[in-house]
Amino acid sequence: MTLASVYKTDYVQSLDQHSQTNLNSSWVNAKGAWMTNFILIFFIKFFFGIIPGISPELSWTLTTLTYNIGSYIMFHAVTGVPFEFTQGAYDGITLWEQIDGGVQFTATRKYLTTVPVVLFLLSTHYTHYAPFAFFVNFAATAINLIAKLPAMHQVRLFNINQKVEGTTD
Amino acid sequence: MDNPFMSAISATFSLLVTVIHAIPGSAIAIDYIQNSYQNDPFRVVLELALAIFAVKYMLSKKYRIDTNDIQLTEKNGNQNHSSSLFLTSSAWTQVIIGAQGPKPKVLSTGKNLMNLASTNYLGYITNEDIKQKAIKTLHNYGVGSCGPPGFYGTLDVHINLEKDIAKFLGTEAAIIYAQGFSTIASVISAFSKRGDIIVADDGCNFAVLKGTQISRSTVKWFKHNDMADLERVLESINKESRAHKKRPLTRRFIVTEGLFQNYGDMAPLDKIMELKHRYKYRVILDESSSFGLLGKTGRGLAELYNIPPRDVDMIVGSMANTLSGAGGFCAGAKEVVDHQRLSGQAFVFSASIPAMLAICASEAIRILETSQGEKLLKALQDNAAAFRAVVASMPQAIELSSMPGSPILHLRIPSYGVAAAGISTRDSETLLLQEIVDEVAVKDALLITRAKYVETQELHLPRPSIQISVSASHTKKDTEKAAQAITSAFVNALNKRK
Repeated sequence: MTLASVYKTDYVQSLDQHSQTNLNSSWVNAKGAWMTNFILIFFIKFFFGIIPGISPELSWTLTTLTYNIGSYIMFHAVTGVPFEFTQGAYDGITLWEQIDGGVQFTATRKYLTTVPVVLFLLSTHYTHYAPFAFFVNFAATAINLIAKLPAMHQVRLFNINQKVEGTTD
Repeated sequence: MDNPFMSAISATFSLLVTVIHAIPGSAIAIDYIQNSYQNDPFRVVLELALAIFAVKYMLSKKYRIDTNDIQLTEKNGNQNHSSSLFLTSSAWTQVIIGAQGPKPKVLSTGKNLMNLASTNYLGYITNEDIKQKAIKTLHNYGVGSCGPPGFYGTLDVHINLEKDIAKFLGTEAAIIYAQGFSTIASVISAFSKRGDIIVADDGCNFAVLKGTQISRSTVKWFKHNDMADLERVLESINKESRAHKKRPLTRRFIVTEGLFQNYGDMAPLDKIMELKHRYKYRVILDESSSFGLLGKTGRGLAELYNIPPRDVDMIVGSMANTLSGAGGFCAGAKEVVDHQRLSGQAFVFSASIPAMLAICASEAIRILETSQGEKLLKALQDNAAAFRAVVASMPQAIELSSMPGSPILHLRIPSYGVAAAGISTRDSETLLLQEIVDEVAVKDALLITRAKYVETQELHLPRPSIQISVSASHTKKDTEKAAQAITSAFVNALNKRK
């Protein structure tokens, strides 16, 4: 079983991708998208804080876990676009790879990479650096961050989400 | 000896400590760091590494991973235009003065030449019934339809024509497109998308090639009319999909032509239908050149092979060739046709055909169903057979790639004689054929043409040829005389080169 393979897009597919604005990924640059991210984290923490049986430390760990798992599924697990407008040019491409047309280190990508790091540092502080909580938080944040590295652009591990049909002659 | 060195280091260190203590709020920070250490250096290193990573990431410059510059391949980067320009200069094409017809007058000599170049197979260009109907429609409906079919461009004559075509062919429904060339391209891309598989004959015409390219599907070509090769391709796709069971099921199509525009031969539809049923594919049959010509009553290839037309999933035809009208159609099941009303790009984004041309096409189909049409078809078959008999009697001068019964004949220089005639490049072969065309235009008053291709864009470029379209509007004697003239022109040209 192959460990890592590249999801190759050919020249014609990249032409199709750049022919129109990608409405599936252009919202991350819109006004209020960044603030919404913060508000979401706040609400997750608030929600976990309300439930009676959960201690403050546990609620921070759960917040970090939820945010990292949720944003991983949204940005790195789901591929394609929900509506058809480019003859399937984005079929196997995750949302993270679609942002800003594949350009690395843009403002949005920097923001979305920094947020899990800050969240991690906050939650390790609030759990008083307990080892188990630390490991859980670190694992979740590390998986999320590794997926956002530029070296992982269009890389597929263990053939998950890899292209299924043969190449054009 | 180390003492001055060590004392210097300790002095710097204590200076640093003093400076840090002087910063306001440093006591809280130092307190926090001391509390957070908690005897776990590994964790602190990890956190520091993470913080440094975040800072490094924030400070990185953005760059683009894939460059979408236009790739300059050999074809479009450094193309040598000189030879093709020479051949497409206007001195090589005839200009027709006045109306098109079986014997039009040309500008270069002012004489009437016998027209073997237009697709006027059944002589509909000069048919009086169609002309009268056209004039009457022009008075009633005016000239254009002023809109796409979906936006007030559909007239009752369009709906009638669609019904006529469906009834004539024997399918459930039909849809009309405005241009014959873009019809097949539109139909293919309406049904086959990225990720689907198309298995196409490599002798298909340019419109089919463009259709497969814009559909972004995976295209696999099989050798022209080679059923064993088609089976090999289908079997290899089957094996690949069985080896990867987790792949989703994709739509699969076989695309071929009824009468090939580039070669003049017909596809063996019975064998294709058998393979289609075995491997579960859909067939898109491009009958642009064969609609109205093949079969007893001109219903196309399905009639010739006695196959019920409902078995062929999509029959795509052209009203611009045999029916001497304009536009194209796609006939099939009701769902097939209804899908194209929104997904057929050329249907949605082009104006519909003018009412006059729709009436002409309807009238042409009506004539085909009467005894007059039968007579025209028989005359066409006789002329084609006569022409073919004369040309086939000289295989050392002319290579014929058409099948008996086809009114499209492609005349090529025999491949074994090419080297003997001193021809090494495609351009010199084209030049030789153009000499033949010019010679018969002047000597024998014949209007014939070379087959033209967009050479830089064709995937499977056929050899240069002279394309003859036999017509029922000429007499058999004239057709035979023309065939003899062309044959002797070929012989002369080859002998001159030897």
